[in-house]
Amino acid sequence: MNPWIAIGALGVVSIGIPLGMMAVSALLRPSVPEQGKSAIYESGEIPTGTARLQFNIQYYMVALLFVIFDIETVLIFPWTVIYRSALEQGASLTEVLLPMLVFIGILVVGLVWAWRNGAVEWVKSPLAESRKTERQT
Amino acid sequence: MLLQSQLPNSLALAPVLVLALTALLLLVVDSIDPDSTNSAALAGISVVGALTSLGFAGWFLSAGTGQVSTGGGISLYGEALVVDGMALFFMAIFASVTAMVAIGSYDYLRGKPHQAEFYTLVMFAATGMGLMAAANSLATAFVALELASLPSYALVAFLKKNRGSVEAGLKYFLIGAVSSAVFVFGISLVYAATGSMVFSDVAEALNGTEFVGVAGLGVLMIAGGFAFKTASVPFHFWAPEAYEGAPAPISAFLSSASKAAGFAVAFRVFTEAFALSAIPAGIDWVLLFQILAVVTMTLGNFAAATQENVKRMLAYSSIGHAGYALIGLAALSAGSAQNGNVMGASMAHLLVYGFMNTGAFLFIALTEHWDIGRRFEDFNGLGSQAPVACAAMTVFMFSLAGLPPFGGFFSKYFLFAGAIGAGFWWLAAVGAVNSALSLFYYSRVVKAIWIEDPSGEFQITSKPIGLYAAVMIAALGTLVLLPGFGPVIEMAQTAATALFA
Amino acid sequence: MVPAEWYLLLAAAVFCIGLIGILTRRNALLFLMSVELMLNAANINFVAFSYQWGNVTGQTFGLFTMALAAAEVAIGIGIILVLYRNFDDIDVTKATTMRW
Repeated sequence: MNPWIAIGALGVVSIGIPLGMMAVSALLRPSVPEQGKSAIYESGEIPTGTARLQFNIQYYMVALLFVIFDIETVLIFPWTVIYRSALEQGASLTEVLLPMLVFIGILVVGLVWAWRNGAVEWVKSPLAESRKTERQT
Repeated sequence: MLLQSQLPNSLALAPVLVLALTALLLLVVDSIDPDSTNSAALAGISVVGALTSLGFAGWFLSAGTGQVSTGGGISLYGEALVVDGMALFFMAIFASVTAMVAIGSYDYLRGKPHQAEFYTLVMFAATGMGLMAAANSLATAFVALELASLPSYALVAFLKKNRGSVEAGLKYFLIGAVSSAVFVFGISLVYAATGSMVFSDVAEALNGTEFVGVAGLGVLMIAGGFAFKTASVPFHFWAPEAYEGAPAPISAFLSSASKAAGFAVAFRVFTEAFALSAIPAGIDWVLLFQILAVVTMTLGNFAAATQENVKRMLAYSSIGHAGYALIGLAALSAGSAQNGNVMGASMAHLLVYGFMNTGAFLFIALTEHWDIGRRFEDFNGLGSQAPVACAAMTVFMFSLAGLPPFGGFFSKYFLFAGAIGAGFWWLAAVGAVNSALSLFYYSRVVKAIWIEDPSGEFQITSKPIGLYAAVMIAALGTLVLLPGFGPVIEMAQTAATALFA
Repeated sequence: MVPAEWYLLLAAAVFCIGLIGILTRRNALLFLMSVELMLNAANINFVAFSYQWGNVTGQTFGLFTMALAAAEVAIGIGIILVLYRNFDDIDVTKATTMRW
């Protein structure tokens, strides 16, 4: 059998189920329009301002650090895959372990540097502080 | 000889390892006390690191490590890297340029923040360049190329409050990002056609492959990636902007070391992986490089002749020199005995260029330090104020133009003679015509410095020691290469001939 | 099994979408996204032909490409931030203190 038939069937089903559910519920449910239902949901708070606001730049600093270190861990995957079989085939522990320790060591040097230079420190801006106190009073 | 018997093979990479360790050391030093900046210590560590690297490269070169006489290149890490004569030769170039840039930066960066980052990025970029010269697999070539490029983007945009620097960084980054994407897509196509990334395996699989179309497109795209790194047509647009906007020591670093790194890896990829003897007849990359060489040198020189800004003129002239160096790839033919000579001459030209061009840009750094403007007129009468530095600049200009008593003459002579010997006299002719044209704009600088009367009032109050020393070292290098050119060209041609064996 | 040419076509299509994005968009962030598309087009090739040739070189290199793409974005965002501070815009055509 052509394997594409299975893939096609999967596609049809995965589109069909949500469409079917929406159609059935639209037919069955009573319609009671109300103002509260169309309001923007913001965890029970009354929504203020627009959705397009400027985030604190420090979010980006943390996010950038996260992206880099997150992706670097991906490079450990190939090593874990071969680790056990390499040991079984007679490679010495230093040969297998040391390169990864060096790799992580270099990353640690970078992280320590970023830390010491305040990339992960949350500096409070005077503007944000003043707004906070306004709200509290 | 020395290395094979006394040191483990893994230390063959010592020139690169030293650079990487220096970069990490700089980070550690900055982590210990991030608030204070000891410029002298930072610059000192960088210079010592670069000189140690140069020492290792020179020692290995003279001891014959990885050369034919001692049993050929040393393959490391499953043939991902190879250390041979060519790799060591280029590592020596990168280390000397890095040392000069680090010395010059000491004065240039005075009073500026983030100095530790600056030196660290320079050392990381130099590490990447060294690895590029040693890369023996498309995978390591790409990773090393990115390691050299990414710090360079940040370095070009280093002056965060200077609009020119930021703009230059942006343009360099945009074109660099696109061309690295093109490069990696080319690698993926070659991998698709051959199923391997190690150069020798790629060459083996390409011999008689049925996927000529896919492989050909891949080769073309990889050539595009190198065109970016070497600032050749068609990816040269970034060069004038980046060199003009960047801090002048970084312009020196990029236009000499980074360009040489691009050629180092291009030489190896195109002689080992896409070797003329193995490549299918449909993929004629020699023709591609012939066109690129002629267009690049002509465009670079003509554009340089129309500039009013000295730094920008040097940027365009740097494109022109990329065109000359491309002859090393353009004048090849399958099985010719002259191949090694041409490529070796191109390598020697990149070495001389490393000194004279770094020196010229460091002189610009000196003038920026004095704050006297960038146009030709601003240089008027500078010779009476700072005769020593101006004499050095004159050496650089005439050497860049290729006038007889300077280093640049010999390298160009061997390059053109090699092209003629290989039967590509027309490449040599185009090169010679372009050199004659280049004399026009280089001598404009010399004329402004020595002959013209000063147009405005300027007083040179300071004599920055670091920048002076760096300019002098570069001038000394250019002059020492006069009597020392024989061994250099011999070494380069032996190293290049080994690639074709 | 899906024939190899289809992977090549898919990768080429993704690559071209990225390329067109670069040529038509002026927003620096969209530019970054387009470059990501081009890099991931290469990844499609690597993974597909890794399977085709029966070695893991391509898959492993795909991981390297991802890591380098992340590093490139980190640098790119940094440059775009200083661009915004200097030019009050992230339109890549606005930065013209030098002749292009």
